[in-house]
Amino acid sequence: MSGASGKDHEGLDILVVGGGTFGTALASILSEMKRRVLLWVRRPEQAEEINSKHTNSRYLDGFELPLNLRATTLLEESIRRTPIVLIVVPSKSFREIARRIGNTAKGNQILVHATKGIEIDTFKRMSEVLKEETCALKIGALSGPNLAREIMGGQPSGALLASRYDEVATTLQPLFVSSRMRIYSGRDVIGTEIAGSFKNIIAIAAGVADGMKLGDNAKSLLVTRGLSEMARFGVALGADVFTFGGLAGIGDLMATCASKLSRNHQVGERLAGGEEISGILDGMTQVAEGVPTTRAVHAQALQMNIELPIVRAVHGILYEDWSCNEALIRLMSLPAEKELAVLSYR
Amino acid sequence: MKPEDKGRVQVEVVQRILDHWTTDATCCEEALFDTIYHERRRLESEKNKSRARKEGAFYERIYHQALNGKSASHRQLLKEVIRFFSNEVLGHFDPRVYSLATRIIPTGLCLLLNTVSPLRLVETLQGADGLADQLVIGGEIEALRRVAKMGTTILVPTHSSNLDSILIGFALYRLGLPPYTYGAGLNLFSNRLIGFFMHNLGAYKVDRLKKAPVYKDVLKTYAGYTMELGYHNLFFPGGTRSRSGAVESKLKMGLLGMGLDAYIHNLAAGKERPDIFVVPCTINYQLVLEAETLIDDHLKDVGKSRYIIEDDEFSRPKRIFEFIRQLFSLHSTIHLVISSPLDVFGNLVDDKGVSRDRRGRPVDRSRYVIDAGGRPVFDAQRDREYTRELASSIGAAYRRDTVIKSTNLLSRAVFKLLGDKNPGLDLYRLLRGVGVEESFSLADVYRSVEDTLDTVHMLNQRGKLRIDDIVTRKDPVAIVSEALAHLGTYHRKPALVRRGDRLFHVDRTLLLYYQNRLAGTENGELA
Repeated sequence: MSGASGKDHEGLDILVVGGGTFGTALASILSEMKRRVLLWVRRPEQAEEINSKHTNSRYLDGFELPLNLRATTLLEESIRRTPIVLIVVPSKSFREIARRIGNTAKGNQILVHATKGIEIDTFKRMSEVLKEETCALKIGALSGPNLAREIMGGQPSGALLASRYDEVATTLQPLFVSSRMRIYSGRDVIGTEIAGSFKNIIAIAAGVADGMKLGDNAKSLLVTRGLSEMARFGVALGADVFTFGGLAGIGDLMATCASKLSRNHQVGERLAGGEEISGILDGMTQVAEGVPTTRAVHAQALQMNIELPIVRAVHGILYEDWSCNEALIRLMSLPAEKELAVLSYR
Repeated sequence: MKPEDKGRVQVEVVQRILDHWTTDATCCEEALFDTIYHERRRLESEKNKSRARKEGAFYERIYHQALNGKSASHRQLLKEVIRFFSNEVLGHFDPRVYSLATRIIPTGLCLLLNTVSPLRLVETLQGADGLADQLVIGGEIEALRRVAKMGTTILVPTHSSNLDSILIGFALYRLGLPPYTYGAGLNLFSNRLIGFFMHNLGAYKVDRLKKAPVYKDVLKTYAGYTMELGYHNLFFPGGTRSRSGAVESKLKMGLLGMGLDAYIHNLAAGKERPDIFVVPCTINYQLVLEAETLIDDHLKDVGKSRYIIEDDEFSRPKRIFEFIRQLFSLHSTIHLVISSPLDVFGNLVDDKGVSRDRRGRPVDRSRYVIDAGGRPVFDAQRDREYTRELASSIGAAYRRDTVIKSTNLLSRAVFKLLGDKNPGLDLYRLLRGVGVEESFSLADVYRSVEDTLDTVHMLNQRGKLRIDDIVTRKDPVAIVSEALAHLGTYHRKPALVRRGDRLFHVDRTLLLYYQNRLAGTENGELA
């Protein structure tokens, strides 16, 4: 088959798929840099609000969006117009959206996702889902300490863009040049995706620690051992251990576990306050990825015979009616192992 | 290679490699001296004295001229070296020889097998025509035929035995496909008769002792350019015979990447039929001729295993004869399974030659290699990754189209019993048999075979592997009986022997070898 032409991509620089907090924040940054950005959202009223009022009140109440940021509800048609697609949708609906993208995607397009989650039923990472559902090969994952409200507030941040294809970073990085978001590049897609998903579990645990008022020492212990678990798990799945010491690992973990803005952290804090998980989730407008991710990681760790005590404890609280106190006692009574055991796996 | 293309290929191959290595003076100089270094080292251990003298003198001259020369002469000297290599590599195809060789198949093939005394082998192989019946060719035969008409195909089989290339050659003939260009080890050309056939049947010479990157470039560029010219190619992407018995999972990217290279060249040249299709294929033996040597090599300490083995069963005519005799007397079948064709990016290709994504939607494959202006371009990093995608698809096809035979199944079942009855014993102790009960009751063996059968059938139903006819029948007694007939006879030391109601595991390394065919599948973790 021939007749290829790249010229049909002249209409747009980038299409951002997903009008939640992070998707809108990324689209806003890029629009401010005068890039030709289109934001795909599912609901027509949301698209209408972004286009006419320049706000996204459901997800980013109180923030004004750039005037040149346009929204659309036409996915397949928009895919045809862009060389780069940035996907920022919850992991739960990721496959369905990926399949729709696959209806019109072409092999020369770059697909990058910034979804920090795992497909629960299959334990597939989002890049794997993209490969299954589209013909694209130039696929990347964007992850790092990116609290959307801080980004929208004009504060600086950074992220790691991981792809096996150098072209992905060299094409995407220039779009962010001079913006308040620094994009670093790497090739460890597995590590980046595992870190981005796993940190949400540790964020719930950190929220629980804050809610129980265990103090900074305990929280630091939790976060550091959480990092160790994350690295151990990631390395077993083929990740590079160094990724966990970077923006997508410790970087994201620090932001999420320290910030009250993190949804997963909020879940943990409210659990410690005695609320039921079902009640907490019902009242949230946005997805706390850490909750389903805990179930997926726990099941996978059991299958791979990997000890992940903090994940075990969070799973106990979320799905097995453990009290936060009981989880804490169980964690503290475990024998202490070598601190840097994970490095021996390299 | 047709005689009329030979000159053209020679010029193009030399020029492309020269362009690659002479982008600047330093690069050219380094390539030249690096090649001289590697070649001199190789010649130190060259057994053929007259060849060593002749080539030694050539490199001495090049070396001294290079020392005194400037960058312009370095380029000229490098060109001389590249031409020297390409002269050795270049194959030839003579339709008359092809016709002769295929008419006398399979005797002709058996003749090719024997590196020492072809006549003696022919004498002992009266009625050997049965070989044709014992090679079962299956899988996507029609798809292979179709894509071979639509573009250039690269056949990439699994590699267990030196018999593979001969069987493949025979299979292609039986399928009515044209001969394939392939690289054969230099040692096969050393016998004049075999060398004559090899040379005239499209084989090009590969000297695996030559380590210089420039030489490897000659091989790759030669293969790639012949693909551009429309010559179907054959090579073993595993690089060498599987030592462990497992289906290859780590593939050599260099030669594999030449399909993509040829495709981009073809697109850039605006060829009417630019397509290159990659067709994986598995060759499945009940018994492997060189099993003992291969597994022995696999189990040697890391770093000591040999990439090239010259003193194995293949070099002993008596063993080859014994192997073929067993093949006939046991009515043993060799399954050759052709997998679905792939494009050079690892996508499946349909009947019409259209690439399909995993949801079956059509893919315009040319899009993968075009720039923003729609022009086909090379990008070394991107192209390496594309080839990795292809290798991954080939690996998946290998696993899917591997035929599990009774020897694999019984070996797996006995090995599992060994593990279960000796918990905590590491693999090497298990293989040495230290403190291990030397036999199992047949009842235990049948139970273990049934368990393994369940797993294998489950994997078969999920499309993860294929099974031989006897394995399909789910009759443990028949499976054990057939497997024992094979495992207990051909090898110097039988792998398994039945005495009364007990089964003695005599050579556990062979069991490991045959059971490893299941490695990489679920519950088949050993390798």
